[in-house]
Amino acid sequence: MLAQLTSGERQLSIVVLILMAMVGLAMAAAGRGDPIGVHGFIVVVASVAMIFVMLSGLYAPEPSAERLDHYYDDPSKVGVILTMIWAMVGMFFGVWVASLLAWPDLTFDAAWASFGRLRPVHTSGVIFGFGGNALIATSFHVLQRTSRARLPDQFSPWFVLLGYNLFCVLAATGYFMGVTQSKEYAEPEWYADIWLVIVWVVYFAIYIRTLARRKEPHIYVANWYYMAFILVVAILHIVNNLAVPVSFGHAKSYSAFSGVQDAMTQWWYGHNAVAFFLTSGFLGMMYYYLPKRAGRPIYSYRLSIISFWGITFMYMWAGSHHLHYTALPEWVQTLGMTFSLVLLVPSWASAGNALATLNGAWHKVRDDATLRFMMAAAVFYGLTTFEGSFMAIRPVNALSHYTDWTVGHVHAGALGWVALITFGSIYCLVPALWKRERMYSAKLIEVHFWLAISGTVIYVFAMWNSGILQGLMWRTYNENGTLTYSFIESMVAMHPYYIARAFGGLLFLLGAITGSYNILMTIRGHSQAALQPSDDAPQRNLAPVAQPAE
Amino acid sequence: MSWEHETVVAFSKSWGLFYLIAMAVGVLVYTFWPSNKKRFERAKDSILDGDDKPWK
Amino acid sequence: MPEFHRKIERSAIGFVLAIVVVASIGGFVEIAPLFTIDDTVENAPDMRVYTPLEQAGRDIYMREGCYACHSQMIRTLRDEVERYGPYSLAVESKYDHPMLWGSKRTGPDLARIGGKYSDAWQVAHLINPRAVVPESIMPKFGWLRDNPLRIDDLGEHLTALRDVGVPYTDDMIANATQDALGQTAPDGDFAAGVTKRYGEATQVRAFDGNPATVTEMDALVAYLQILGHLTGAAQAGVAVQPEAAQ
Repeated sequence: MLAQLTSGERQLSIVVLILMAMVGLAMAAAGRGDPIGVHGFIVVVASVAMIFVMLSGLYAPEPSAERLDHYYDDPSKVGVILTMIWAMVGMFFGVWVASLLAWPDLTFDAAWASFGRLRPVHTSGVIFGFGGNALIATSFHVLQRTSRARLPDQFSPWFVLLGYNLFCVLAATGYFMGVTQSKEYAEPEWYADIWLVIVWVVYFAIYIRTLARRKEPHIYVANWYYMAFILVVAILHIVNNLAVPVSFGHAKSYSAFSGVQDAMTQWWYGHNAVAFFLTSGFLGMMYYYLPKRAGRPIYSYRLSIISFWGITFMYMWAGSHHLHYTALPEWVQTLGMTFSLVLLVPSWASAGNALATLNGAWHKVRDDATLRFMMAAAVFYGLTTFEGSFMAIRPVNALSHYTDWTVGHVHAGALGWVALITFGSIYCLVPALWKRERMYSAKLIEVHFWLAISGTVIYVFAMWNSGILQGLMWRTYNENGTLTYSFIESMVAMHPYYIARAFGGLLFLLGAITGSYNILMTIRGHSQAALQPSDDAPQRNLAPVAQPAE
Repeated sequence: MSWEHETVVAFSKSWGLFYLIAMAVGVLVYTFWPSNKKRFERAKDSILDGDDKPWK
Repeated sequence: MPEFHRKIERSAIGFVLAIVVVASIGGFVEIAPLFTIDDTVENAPDMRVYTPLEQAGRDIYMREGCYACHSQMIRTLRDEVERYGPYSLAVESKYDHPMLWGSKRTGPDLARIGGKYSDAWQVAHLINPRAVVPESIMPKFGWLRDNPLRIDDLGEHLTALRDVGVPYTDDMIANATQDALGQTAPDGDFAAGVTKRYGEATQVRAFDGNPATVTEMDALVAYLQILGHLTGAAQAGVAVQPEAAQ
């Protein structure tokens, strides 16, 4: 992996790693007796380990200039592997926290294992670990192909990928120790946030430098979405995480915002993290891998441009629908609701565009589970955005807010859209990166597909039921004009749905494990293709697979 | 606070709308401008060629 | 127009600026006015800041992720007002850095939990929720009673909070550690200082039942018992908004 780094880049890496180790050491020293000290120790260990890796190849011969005739895919390869590892970790914790709601004593009386600490491990694990690594790995791949240019150097992609994963590790380990800002989906504390800003600036620079060297005059639309993801996430992250640390020896910080301003800032962040992390970036993925896999150009390029600007402009207004009937001024609530409704237009334009691309290729969707992953993702995207707009309507929100319906909605999007489009893209990407003709087993992709679909459907139906039931029980009056149900009665009613939800999540996790195994075997060069003449190949007219000699 | 709350709110409520309309018109004009058709056609086909090397 | 777009698109930087501008408008237009508000956050002259002990409890509330299952925002809906008490006002969370309005009620809203149950109930419930409410699915937090609260750095916490706008006085910051000791030991030497700095109504007692040591349990229960009572503003105007009352 290091062979492609020039000697200058190897030296630069070591300098950067030494700096990191020193910062880690300072954190460990200043934060004795505080979780930040543990994190300093983790930074030191990670940096020193990488220094040894770099030293082992420091005096290797210079890479040949021939490397510049190829795209640089090593970071994408490692990124795909990290994506699958985080998928399994994040989803495992998801199943665990889901089970805690059905069987609360699964914490084993350990502080680190209580629901409140494990939940962010799940949410950050899947959103940032799984989703973020998938975005980084695919964006490097797509960026190079659509620009017809190699990444600008061999150091910065590694810095971004590994630096980002260091952020994810600091986040997850911090939660176990109770380090959290308590801002949902922005839980990591100030030092991790600063580190992410540094990583993000380099990520952005890679994008700009590659685009500047592109040989295609037009920037393909997938890159627009990836760029919006990088840029807007940077804005959101910096603004929402403004805080004053207690001291350099404390992990704890206090948010710069309070009360109603904080609520609006937080949900402006929270909703746009959904928009630009979980939608925009993954739409970029869809606009590249779906046409590629289907072997057909996107149905309407113009529509993709219109939806791009629509999504970029309008999502930003929608955050306040998380705060209906609260102490937030009413005009802001109404504005958020209106834009949430209008948002359906560009969202459905994207989903429709994807499905129309497949029109005329339905036989491929039938035969090829990889393409079916992407088709199902587009369908779930359409359904979820419709549901989202619906739930943003004030009276509907009065019922749905604070209930499991929201959780169901989020998972329809996260499992049905984000995870399915990611798995579909990865199944396209893995054979391409490792120069294999196809995935190890088409059958296992099929198994993964059905585990994922059934898991998602069970999960979402369970949460619809429990959410609506919960919302209705809370507002049911008896004939005397008093509330019929106590809170605890509504909670007891959730029990069967919580079991169903944990089961649905378990199926989804099993699917991810199946996929990881399949990817591992593909990387190791195995292929069951000889046994299965079916077609997991991107193009239809491939030469027939050689049958074993009799 | 040099800006009065009322002013800011009024600005937000009115100019936000103008922005929205101007944005939409701009995007539509760009998207449907006849001379752009060719580049879009080319862009959508460009990802499908089997070429997997950087261009010189 | 198309020439313009082609230009910004050809130079990647122009394109970047376009995205930033287009995306920022929404947030700016919506959020900026909230920072110029004087009239929307109600005036509540009786509003007090958290004592060091309560603030430490609030930090524990965040550390344990309580906000993941409990909201602190009673909406202007009739059933919520009847179930939880007067709807939440913006002023009530003006010293909350960050706010803990929450987004999910796996458990009930806690905006007005203060004073609803005794300290002993809260302690027993936190140690083993199912001993008090058999159907509960809340995790056990028994270790809070065994963990001594770190009080030596409370002054630093208050200083950081003052930096972000909470009106702690020099006196409060200088005596933060003593006030934490004082608030849990009503018969001790430091108790008088607490009521002097934070008002006569401040709850001073051994929240976990043991005045000898200050534990994390003391802090968390002190925080829970003040929730909804930093100001009487909400109770003063209990009328439900007509719009939401139907």
